[in-house]
Amino acid sequence: MKIKLMRKREGVYNEVRKERTDERPIEAATVPEYLVFPLNMHIGAPANPIVEVGDKVKIGTLIAEKKGNISANIYASVSGEVFDISDQPTVKGIAPCITIKNNYKEEWEEPFYSENDKLTVTQMKEVIDKAGIVGMGGATFPTSVKLSPPSGTRIDTLIINGAECEPYSTADHRLMVEHAVELIEGVRILARILDVNQVYVALESDTHDSAEEMKKIIDQEDHIDIVELETIYPQGSEKNLIKKLTNREVPSGGLPADVHTVVVNVATALAVYEAIHLRRPSIERITTVSGEPIKEPKNLRVRIGTPISYLIDDCHGFCTNPGKMIHGGPMMGTTINSGRIPITKGTSVITFLEKGEALRSDRTSCIKCSECLNVCPVSLQPILISQAYENGDLDKAERLGALDCIDCGNCSYICPAKIPLLDNIRAAKKEIRSRQEAK
Amino acid sequence: MVEKYEFDTNGLVMSPSPHLFSKRTSAWIMQQVIIALIFPAIAGTYFFGLKVLIMLFVGIFSSVLFEYLYQKISRKKVTISDYSAVVTGMLIALSLPVTAPLWSIILGSGFAILIVKQIPGGIGRNVFNPAVAARVMLKLFFSPWITNWVTPEPDVVATATPLESIGYFSKTVPEEIPDLWDLFLGIGLGGNIGETSKLAILIGLAYLVIRGIINLKIPVLYVLTVAIIMSIYGDFSFTYMMSHVLSGTLLFGATYMATDYSSGPLTPDGKTVFAIGCGMLTAVIRIVFNFPGGVGFAILIMNALAPTIDKYLAPRIYGHKKRILRNSLN
Repeated sequence: MKIKLMRKREGVYNEVRKERTDERPIEAATVPEYLVFPLNMHIGAPANPIVEVGDKVKIGTLIAEKKGNISANIYASVSGEVFDISDQPTVKGIAPCITIKNNYKEEWEEPFYSENDKLTVTQMKEVIDKAGIVGMGGATFPTSVKLSPPSGTRIDTLIINGAECEPYSTADHRLMVEHAVELIEGVRILARILDVNQVYVALESDTHDSAEEMKKIIDQEDHIDIVELETIYPQGSEKNLIKKLTNREVPSGGLPADVHTVVVNVATALAVYEAIHLRRPSIERITTVSGEPIKEPKNLRVRIGTPISYLIDDCHGFCTNPGKMIHGGPMMGTTINSGRIPITKGTSVITFLEKGEALRSDRTSCIKCSECLNVCPVSLQPILISQAYENGDLDKAERLGALDCIDCGNCSYICPAKIPLLDNIRAAKKEIRSRQEAK
Repeated sequence: MVEKYEFDTNGLVMSPSPHLFSKRTSAWIMQQVIIALIFPAIAGTYFFGLKVLIMLFVGIFSSVLFEYLYQKISRKKVTISDYSAVVTGMLIALSLPVTAPLWSIILGSGFAILIVKQIPGGIGRNVFNPAVAARVMLKLFFSPWITNWVTPEPDVVATATPLESIGYFSKTVPEEIPDLWDLFLGIGLGGNIGETSKLAILIGLAYLVIRGIINLKIPVLYVLTVAIIMSIYGDFSFTYMMSHVLSGTLLFGATYMATDYSSGPLTPDGKTVFAIGCGMLTAVIRIVFNFPGGVGFAILIMNALAPTIDKYLAPRIYGHKKRILRNSLN
């Protein structure tokens, strides 16, 4: 048990349950017969399908084109034919998807861009954009947009986020251990594009072996620092990483670029390497499937579009009945109830919880223990925002900084009175936003 | 098509994140406080005899009963299972001398639970710490019955509390004050049951800190403030300073009363100000007046100020330049 006497904790030491998968090498997941590609698998406008039912595709065939500035291309991850284009269950609810029937021939499309000995920075950005790479830590923000800060905004620091803080996630950890060479190469590309001198690769101290792997590879002149941070949730939150590594704070409502910083997830950096060096678009990712009900939890290399039920089979099913299936980790993930929901570019972990773990306890009165303030990584007063919302005082909730909440869930997690603090803050945020839009 | 790969999804719970919750409950926290209070209770029983156990029982029983009856009569949810009334009852019993009549414990419990805690709305809504308020109320209005200090000797002699000999602008430590080691262990000392053995209090404090119920900020700053002021006032006499630190309710109050969640401030900086404020008031009361009870008054005054302190010292939110302005919070 960790004891912090005087200092603010800025997080919770929730029970880390990575031990079932953190030493398991990444395995290739079963490639299913049908793969489902949600057109909205990234943040921003859904991609526009450019194939029709019956079209033949290969691995790396562009099947949906980005639409607008914040959007991303989608590529087929198997060879076969377009089976269906219709609404299907996804993490974001029922949404338009392209379904591809696998012919198991593993035919590859020609490289998605023609080789060029020396890509300019602009060309590299174009390749990354074309490859459909989005933030693979879960935010799914198009990476090329991140790499093109508005003119006049100087970026001097690049942070590579390997601080995987959700209790069961080990996909990034295994990636750092097993693909350190490629990852660091991807980091060098990113550093070149952004023209930064300072690069931090941040990870949690319990993944010490991955730090060792990467330190072996870095050259003296790289200016890449591997930083081991305390294992605490939410260490991997972008705003907190920036504060911890550079002592800069992203202004309220602002972006990391406002403090000359760009944060990129380790899986994204690997995808950048694959796009530039292997001339391969974003068609697969590493996903952890874990939780107590899973018989054999694993880190799997998964083709984008694989329905979750296949991964469960890869893990030999359940040892106990799951009470919750979570896309993401238990702190910030979204509950889902269909095994048909596919793995997308942003799926870093699928967590299963037992029935007993999944239920909430009865709420009691607030005893003013201050724990929600102690654990809030952005120094909010969660209980006051929650009370303001329950009293119908949206103005007060807004003044208390409801919109600065990063949804980490620490307050609800820690509350001994089991007050649904984050539920209330989220509801307050939603109403404040809709009120702002109405104005 | 993909249906055949469905697994049994019936009974999967759908709910917003987070999906994990800490196992701590309010009742568990109160249980830890009760365990921490057992240490001074054992010391008290050792020094003052078995009547202490009776007093503890009366305090706990009457506090819980008052809470139960109030909630039954006012048709509110009965919350005695959160153990907070037990804590209040223990604190009241432990903050009285062994000569205090049992009716004074019942009176104190009724005052604490009904007037101080339940009428403002129950746990978390009370401005004042119920046990401290009860203690001060008894001291103010029932002094003859509850402040005849006794030393734990066979023939129970009424003595002055050590504080009376060092208070009232006195800067020197008179002869009759016990030596520091006796003060620390509680040997041959008159006073309230719980505050006798500083050793037992510190064990309880350590327990609460290790369990993560409180952190050291409030107790340390509180005692340190008193120690610094007394050092300066006492011309840097170590004995004078330590006599103040080890006398009276200071350590007991700093450990079990000033750290009360409900009546203390919510914000981290507020806790700092609160603790230093308690220390300054305690020191001033002890220097200026020649009556014991500075700790109780100091904590009550700071309890009253806590909401205001919180408003001025709201934490600066990440990414904001300033703290939230106090006026915007009303």
